[in-house]
Amino acid sequence: MIHTISLAPGVTLRCFPDSRFKQGCISFQIIRPMNLQEAAQNALIPSVLLRATRNHPDLRSITHKLDELYGAAVSTVVRRVGDYQTTGLYCSFLDDRFTLSGDEILRPVLEFLMELVLDSPTENGGFLPEIVESEKKNLISTIESQRNDKRVYAMDQLFRLMCREDSFGLSRLGEKEQVAAIQPVALYEHHQEILKQSQIHIFYVGHAQPEQVADILRPMLARMERNPVDLPQQTPFHTCPGENKTETMEVSQGKLCMGFTSPITNRDEEFAAMQVFNTLYGSGMTSKLFMRIREQLSLCYGIGSGFYGSKGILAVSAGIDFDKVDKTKQEVLALLEDCRQGKISTEELEAGREAVLSTLRATHDSPGSIENYYATAALSGMKMTPAEYMAAVEQVGLSDVVACARSLCLHSTYFLKGATE
Amino acid sequence: MNALYYPKLDETVCRETLENGLTVAVVPRKGFTKSLAYFVTDYGAIHKDYCFGGETYHAPAGVAHYLEHKLFDMPGDRDVSAEFAAMGAMTNAFTSYDMTAYYFSTTEHFPECLRLLLEFVSTPYFTQQSVEKEQGIIDQEIDMNLDAPDSVIFENLVTSLYETHPIRVPILGSHQSIREITPEVLYSCHRAFYTPGNMLLCVIGDVDAEEVKQIALEVLGTEKREVGQKLPIAEEALTTPEKEARCKMEVAMPMFNLAFKCPAVGKGEEAIRQEMIADLAAEALFGESSQLYLELYQEGIIDTSFGGGFETIDGCAMLLCSGDSNKPEVIRERLIWQAEILGREGIGEEDFLRMKRSAFGRRVRGLDSFDSTCFRICAYHFGGFDYFRFPEVYETISREEIQDFLKNYVNYENSSLSVIDPVEQEAV
Repeated sequence: MIHTISLAPGVTLRCFPDSRFKQGCISFQIIRPMNLQEAAQNALIPSVLLRATRNHPDLRSITHKLDELYGAAVSTVVRRVGDYQTTGLYCSFLDDRFTLSGDEILRPVLEFLMELVLDSPTENGGFLPEIVESEKKNLISTIESQRNDKRVYAMDQLFRLMCREDSFGLSRLGEKEQVAAIQPVALYEHHQEILKQSQIHIFYVGHAQPEQVADILRPMLARMERNPVDLPQQTPFHTCPGENKTETMEVSQGKLCMGFTSPITNRDEEFAAMQVFNTLYGSGMTSKLFMRIREQLSLCYGIGSGFYGSKGILAVSAGIDFDKVDKTKQEVLALLEDCRQGKISTEELEAGREAVLSTLRATHDSPGSIENYYATAALSGMKMTPAEYMAAVEQVGLSDVVACARSLCLHSTYFLKGATE
Repeated sequence: MNALYYPKLDETVCRETLENGLTVAVVPRKGFTKSLAYFVTDYGAIHKDYCFGGETYHAPAGVAHYLEHKLFDMPGDRDVSAEFAAMGAMTNAFTSYDMTAYYFSTTEHFPECLRLLLEFVSTPYFTQQSVEKEQGIIDQEIDMNLDAPDSVIFENLVTSLYETHPIRVPILGSHQSIREITPEVLYSCHRAFYTPGNMLLCVIGDVDAEEVKQIALEVLGTEKREVGQKLPIAEEALTTPEKEARCKMEVAMPMFNLAFKCPAVGKGEEAIRQEMIADLAAEALFGESSQLYLELYQEGIIDTSFGGGFETIDGCAMLLCSGDSNKPEVIRERLIWQAEILGREGIGEEDFLRMKRSAFGRRVRGLDSFDSTCFRICAYHFGGFDYFRFPEVYETISREEIQDFLKNYVNYENSSLSVIDPVEQEAV
């Protein structure tokens, strides 16, 4: 179903032709190893690219162009994929079949996307200073705004705490200080450098045939100078001593986050069993955490767990009263202990398996989840297709999930509490 | 069932109102694995006051949401979520100001899941103990919202926009009001509003429409029952009682919600026209391709968090924009000023056509999302309109109507500005 076409050295186009959708989607991603030195620059570049091209010199002319293309949307991509940081642009646009009077959208959209990436206006060998300054300000404000959502903020703090030796502890958007230090010329040079050296992944899902997409892109990519470097392999969690941290803010509700580590990652055979375990333990409205801590004890409104397969980290988060923190921690650990001892009913196991299968079955039902699976999960080290993954989930038995539970160790805990009790 | 084809969208909808009063709408999507069903009542947080069986009721704030939580309880200790999960399905629900929706999505066992959805929503089962136990959970949800700047800023906005409209009361109610909710209160609301005549069943997926109808009749029966009458909500003047609401929270930089109060849109095709006119007016005034957006962005007064559109809730309508900004008052001034210019000079024909085309394209693309399509079909159905007819409505809108809208409603008198400032600023 996936067609892979090499467009230039290190530039790979992957297509998922599908005529069920009313839109087409394309992502253009530059893959970089995550590191502190360049994270902020990489994160800033897509926003700068979206501000102007030589032919479309300001925001308004760019938006006019997108409006003419039936409200096509281009957004920036800045993702963390295991040890990699991927940055670029994501575009969704109406399929040619639905335009009025037979207008064509695919070709102009792809051309415009490449224009954004390759044709920025420059001044003295750099991006335009006023654009860089204004986007620096925006990025800093985005970084600062992460604290507005206390659940997201608390999870971020947990990862910083437990991943002091791992790329997972680095901020996806870089640090404020690094953003502030960025200069237009250096940024432009960095953009040229990463365009030359990096692996570049282009992903298309939509009605058009792969060769048609490739034919439109090829002449534009031929303009790029390429000298690609291989990417390092994804690595498992780099450990450090665990820590427990409590922070105080003006909030009404506390946020508790607990981070567990396991040697199992999405590159291992046991991954399917770990996903089933995570689901029955903490994901969704029938999980052990939800049923016990919310439904039976009424300790919280939201509680759940997530498994970060590229690193083998399982994180639990809960919104609770400040004085319920010890009680909640005990319950989270007690429920994990139950799993370690095999206290998992056939129904719980079956429901966990079914939930994972159901999500996988629906992978091909939306352009977003198709892009997410094939463009992101694969890059993080997942080698299974959805069909292979489903077959592995079908085989997961009680002893497999118990083994996963036993592989988990509590590493660090973060608690956000109110200034006044 | 009646199948209607919409050629501009390449969609078909099978629709029928059954003898029990329930409307069923099925959107067949061949080749998709997932199917999604919404079972929705035309009843939400603002409908606390109603008549039923000759009596008048005034329910406590937060009752619709409380009821949504408690409907998942079933006699005999049955666990609805677990039953869905055993079939690999995911179920959930939400309460908005003017509707309450229960839904599931599944890739297998669709008929069984549909039966279960209809069964649990139509089976009220509340005990003193179970109702009391829910207080702890909803208390936590209320606290979570008190820490969520997005919900606080909107709740502050509507209390300064409206004097009496029940939108002033938070959907969740308060710690105090939910303590007045008893099993009897919940039973009364369920009887009045969870009757087929007040509900819509909307399904999207590779499913058989006739089978959906048969299951609905089997589970809900054929009897048509009384529907509660919502007490009318008094219409208010467009002048806002408060022009500004400010508070401080743990946020990184000041956030704002700015709204201009507009006349409620009513029901039917004229209502959706009004809504589309207002959406286009918002686009012309402060959309990303507008002159004003460009200026404010380049001056650093707004950033990418800025956005907005037209919001309608039973008896309310507002042109709303929001985002982060250090100068929210300036945004209000400039919006009003720009609306005056556009109201006087109008919008160019070319700009107008481009905006319409863009809005059309975005709406068509939105149909790829099962959830948003189901939601829109339901919301527009209760508003008396068939959502899939939007392409033809666009054709009838003229640029003069957009000009008039901006001229009539975007002014200081109709406006309210809600701002949250960071707490750090006062900490010295």
